[in-house]
Amino acid sequence: MAGAWANQIIQGILLGGLYAMFAIGLSLSVGIMRFVNIAHGDLIVLVSFLLLTLTTRLGVPLLVATAIVVPVAFVGGYLLQRLLLQRVLGQGVLSIVLVTFGLSVIIQNALQGIYGADTRLIQGGGIETETIQLAGGINIGMLPLAIFVFAVALVFALDLLLYRTRLGARIRAVSDDVASANLVGLRSAHIYAVAMGIVGVTVALSAGFMSVWTNFDPTSGPSRLLVAFEAVVLGGLGSLWGTLAGGIIVGIAQSLGAQVDAGWQLLAGHLVFLAVFLIRPQGLFPK
Amino acid sequence: MPVTAASDTSPLLAVRQLSVFYGQFRAVDAVDLSVRAGEVVSIIGANGAGKSSLLKAIIGQADRIEGVISYCGEDLAGQGTAEIVAKGIALVPEGRRLFPSLSVEENLHIGWEVGRQGEIGIEDVFGFFPILKERCRQKARELSGGQQQMVALGRALLANPRLLLCDEISLGLAPVVIDSLYKLIPAIKARGIGILVVEQDITRSLAVADRFYCLLEGKVTLASRPSATSREVVMQHYFGL
Ligand SMILES: Nc1ncnc2c1ncn2[C@@H]1O[C@H](COP(=O)(O)OP(=O)(O)OP(=O)(O)O)[C@@H](O)[C@H]1O
Ligand SMILES: [Mg+2]
Repeated sequence: MAGAWANQIIQGILLGGLYAMFAIGLSLSVGIMRFVNIAHGDLIVLVSFLLLTLTTRLGVPLLVATAIVVPVAFVGGYLLQRLLLQRVLGQGVLSIVLVTFGLSVIIQNALQGIYGADTRLIQGGGIETETIQLAGGINIGMLPLAIFVFAVALVFALDLLLYRTRLGARIRAVSDDVASANLVGLRSAHIYAVAMGIVGVTVALSAGFMSVWTNFDPTSGPSRLLVAFEAVVLGGLGSLWGTLAGGIIVGIAQSLGAQVDAGWQLLAGHLVFLAVFLIRPQGLFPK
Repeated sequence: MPVTAASDTSPLLAVRQLSVFYGQFRAVDAVDLSVRAGEVVSIIGANGAGKSSLLKAIIGQADRIEGVISYCGEDLAGQGTAEIVAKGIALVPEGRRLFPSLSVEENLHIGWEVGRQGEIGIEDVFGFFPILKERCRQKARELSGGQQQMVALGRALLANPRLLLCDEISLGLAPVVIDSLYKLIPAIKARGIGILVVEQDITRSLAVADRFYCLLEGKVTLASRPSATSREVVMQHYFGL
């Protein structure tokens, strides 16, 4: 019995890796640009469909397809910020919520129109069925493990980028005070757009992983956004390591909830989120 | 009319009939002003006279202007701040405007990145303000006001400007600290950098200036040299009596 619970916790931690992947991009946009992109989940789903087309229609292997999509997503993120989001930034919270909500609706409808409402999954070339056997009858899937390791590595890399590079310092400067940044001659719109390009890269990477592990359809975005949002808030705004921890907490909660009753999985995640939020509204590791 | 210095060299900055607007309100009204290389020019004026608005217009941060801002013979009107800074004008903004969560070193380096990347390097700034070298890993928000002002001045110098704009660098600082900042002005001037100093403290401002302009409600009421003007005349034009 204890073994079953231990197993669920381990599976939950690994699931948390995927959730952290969803959330890292959102965490960046909240932490740097200080807005919540309602279309974040839909962008992940959009890239997943792009990967679907590349892999099934054109027969490109998933890894190659992801490598193609990552730079595209950088440019997409850059242009999205520069041409659309930048125009409403600084006009209050409501404008950006409305604009990204509209974007979310547009993406969902466009995907419905192009791909239909079917549920999809991309073949990962065998990795999704491989497992490692641990003592006590615990099985660890290679894919969840790879995703988890990748999520940790990504947080580490982004943390280095933000806090140890000149580009990171420029991004933090604009995030600190846009008006001051403009006054001393930083190109804040360009720097924000680069940051959004980086968000785009994380979106593409998480889409690559998600599309092999979980089913998706054109309306999957909002549920991804919700999980990402919970991870970001749990971890504390602006903290990437906190977001990773937040993702893991939601993952464990869902996994344990599922052990009690399959129907409890999602609810358990939300309840734990609410409980922590009530006790520590600033999150676990606020910046 | 502005007093012209040795007229053999053309000015670094020549502002002609410059007006700055906030909506319908004219904060700067048809100002003529010039600064030469290696010259310290001060702008004095009471609260709300339009001093900061004038500097913001020069650096490309005013919403709407009329008139000409000619820098090295080129009109800056309509250009972005990033271009203007890269061409060699740097501002020490009113209220310092550091990036609080960045370290001292990061704040300074931003000045270098946006600027002309010339002979003044970070070691020169540490030479001017040795305390900053000790504090270079600390966050800007953890510094005292005087140290923050040193970072703001250092950041602007690191842009290797040919024209330095200083907006009330003495604001809220102790006299000894102000002295240590003003001590630097001759050294900056000696490098051939033109300096435009905005201050409310008339004595301090006129002590360093080669020439000065007195601004009242957006208009130049007096343009002269400190040595050529009595304190009374300055006060009359400062307050518009
Ligand atoms: N952003 C703004 N919007 C509207 N009016 C403004 C704005 N900034 C300044 N003003 C107005 O423009 C006028 C000039 O302001 P400015 O800040 O240039 O004066 P200043 O001489 O620098 O004053 P101080 O000594 O207080 O710094 C003032 O009447 C001020 O109220
Ligand atoms: Mg001012």
